Amino acid sequence: MNLIAQTLADGMVLGGIYALAAVGFSLIFGVLHVINLSHGILVLIGAYLALIFTELLHVDPLLTMPLVMAALFGVGYVYQRLLIQRAVDSSPIGSMLLTFGVALMLQNVMIWVFSPDMKNITPGWAFASFKIGAVTFDAVRVSALLASLVLLSCLAALLKFSALGRVIRATAQQTLAARLCGVNVRHVYALTFAVSAAFAGAAGIVIGIILPFSPHDEATWTLNAFVVVVLGGVGSPAGALIGGLLLGVVNTLTAQYIGPSFPNVTMFLLLVLLLLVRPNGLLGNAFSASR
Amino acid sequence: MTRTSSLMLLTVAVALLLAALPLVLPPFYVRVGQLMLYSAGLGVAWAILGGFAGYASFGHAAFIGVGAFSAGLVETRLGGVPPALLLPIGIVVGGACCGVLSAVIAYPLLRLRGTFFAIAMLGVSNVCAELTNNVDFFEGSLGLTFPTVVPASLDPAIFFYELFLVAGLVVLLIAWKIRDSRFGAGLLSIREDEDTARMLGVPTERYKRTAFVISAILTGIMGVIYGHSLGYITTDSVYRNDTNLNLIVYSLLGGMGTLFGPVIGAFLLVFITQVILGRLLDFHLFATGLLLAFLVLAAPGGVIGLVRGWRQRRKRTGAVPAE
Amino acid sequence: MSETPILQVERLSKSFRGLAAIADVSFAIAPGSITSIIGPNGAGKSTLFNLVTGYLVPTAGEVTFRDRRITRLATNRIAELGIARAFQIARPFRELTVSENVRIGALFGKAGARDVAATTMRGMTLASIAHLADQPANSLTVGQLRHLEIARAIATRADLLLADEPCAGLNPTETAAMIDVLRQIRASGVTVVLVEHDMPSVMEVSDRILVLDAGRLIADGPPQAVSQDAKVIAAYLGTPDE
Repeated sequence: MNLIAQTLADGMVLGGIYALAAVGFSLIFGVLHVINLSHGILVLIGAYLALIFTELLHVDPLLTMPLVMAALFGVGYVYQRLLIQRAVDSSPIGSMLLTFGVALMLQNVMIWVFSPDMKNITPGWAFASFKIGAVTFDAVRVSALLASLVLLSCLAALLKFSALGRVIRATAQQTLAARLCGVNVRHVYALTFAVSAAFAGAAGIVIGIILPFSPHDEATWTLNAFVVVVLGGVGSPAGALIGGLLLGVVNTLTAQYIGPSFPNVTMFLLLVLLLLVRPNGLLGNAFSASR
Repeated sequence: MTRTSSLMLLTVAVALLLAALPLVLPPFYVRVGQLMLYSAGLGVAWAILGGFAGYASFGHAAFIGVGAFSAGLVETRLGGVPPALLLPIGIVVGGACCGVLSAVIAYPLLRLRGTFFAIAMLGVSNVCAELTNNVDFFEGSLGLTFPTVVPASLDPAIFFYELFLVAGLVVLLIAWKIRDSRFGAGLLSIREDEDTARMLGVPTERYKRTAFVISAILTGIMGVIYGHSLGYITTDSVYRNDTNLNLIVYSLLGGMGTLFGPVIGAFLLVFITQVILGRLLDFHLFATGLLLAFLVLAAPGGVIGLVRGWRQRRKRTGAVPAE
Repeated sequence: MSETPILQVERLSKSFRGLAAIADVSFAIAPGSITSIIGPNGAGKSTLFNLVTGYLVPTAGEVTFRDRRITRLATNRIAELGIARAFQIARPFRELTVSENVRIGALFGKAGARDVAATTMRGMTLASIAHLADQPANSLTVGQLRHLEIARAIATRADLLLADEPCAGLNPTETAAMIDVLRQIRASGVTVVLVEHDMPSVMEVSDRILVLDAGRLIADGPPQAVSQDAKVIAAYLGTPDE
């Protein structure tokens, strides 16, 4: 019983992080209809930046978040304007391959700059922990989960209530109509990408705190994001959260009860099953026009 | 008609030339040639589904792995069978396993379109790799040693070079036959607009499945030969994610949806990575990424697209003063 | 109407989430005729075509083609029996030329032996786009695309052509050309059913008109009678959209 509770709790923590790491991917997919295979790279850039800032400024890693998010916001904006925009109107496979090409290049650059070795961000409170009932929570994981939930809520609020959020949603639903209403669609696309990159960066910090990371992980994070989005539905923080939690719980349950060497088998069986039963994810596409 | 037969003649001539090359090439280039022919065969097999029908798979390494491992597992258990028979048996077994696997997964997977199909295939590849690695019976983590099938009088490198050449040609001819058939026209219409194709009477579901199974069987057969040429395989040496990617790149580089595109693309990419960048291993990822980005942005039609565009422009500028 | 009808629709209904798009519609189409289905926007005309061609499965009712029930057949099986459809918004295979597009229709479509080259040529000639044979489809005008759509459908050697607003958005010259094409198609032995908004063309070309309103069949008869039907005038002609 305790084992199940602990496994579920671990799965929730992991799931919160998966959700945060996937939400930007989901946003880009929903608004630009681009599968951003360089998403994992953006997450890793966030992690490496946090590592650098933490060492340079001697602050707690979570406090580097504004800096990291601002930096990735800029990177995302420029990346979309200079590169992605040129492939947005080509086939979906085309834009996907472009982002994959960028991912390969940047992964190589990261290996040159940061070495292929595993890195860690260790905050001062790394080994604190507490118990609720029989379930142990360590401070690092709980703060990671909290940070994920807070950030996801912020993004949900941003999309729902802010002027930028309204424009993003309008563009996603009716690109042509938005353009006719005077929306600068390219600018909105770039802003969407920038927001998405900023959240990827934030996810990178959280990941860096609880897990070791290396340049080779980028594919894992991209793939996780894809699975989360397919499970939960495109474009909404709520969908990302549901998909993330589901994936997290399934992963820890599989590792605990079937064996740690089969994470992909259950994940993809789940994925294919869901694609067949509910092609639009559990929550559907947040941006599809209502019929 | 004349264009097809002259292309056919050219292909035969090039094939004969390629067959004679190992006699004069240094051993390093024979190995590069092996890799080129193997990659070209894979590229064409991939294109039967990905290029002709527009269902780009991101996980065809699954069939290389399943083909190689199933053949290897059967061959190592056939102690008394003469070596000359082992390879044909392996090819039949590997092809059959891939055929059955693809026929089963075709039902759910081919309902997915575009990127969803591509990524689902990546999932299939990862799942097969994981099972091969973790189920003891498959011997994927320890590795599997193939029995020797090369006659003692022949140089193994040259033997496999010629074998890849023959297999690649067979794959090319099958793809050629398909492209020029009613089946091929149906696949093309599926790529262009699947709903319209169905409305015109194209049995889209059956055609997609058939193309998928043919593509998987041919890929599996290439995998069987590849396993033999390596002699010893582990999970990681056949289920390779860079193969999954490269199969798309071959078609993109040569010309998506064309017959010879994947051949041109495979030859070029293998030449670039093995010969030009052969000593710069650290640079491979970067170079492949750069090439990919460049192709998408600047030359979406690949080499064949560039040549066709150039020809059309020349024809047009040539036609204007005449009128 | 004593001959066996080529198409028979019996008590056909289709609802989306409880909303009836087609409600209890029955009619029969005589071979060799041109029938137009008219009605205000949202009356269910396109849904009706989607039901006949197997794009949608009806909630209730049957569709019979000649003697064969086709209600739950797959779209491609229905095409093999000899029903073709031309879309309102043309859906050519954009990367292919005009003749390659039409050739796909000739290669597939109705089951049975055929001469592909001759069938392709015949389709293009009937739809009067043979002069554009080698043009890529993505270079055609809207009007030419409609002709391509018709040519491809004819090349399937279908006995029944369902044409979805072939004249919408065409100028008077193009409309006249399209009406001419439809007449020639009928003359070649193909039964034609149109969904059309352009009333002058409907009046000119049709042998018979069916009027749908809110999913129900409210009138059925020759053009003159239908145009004077009080219900029709109230539902449709009373509020001219031009």
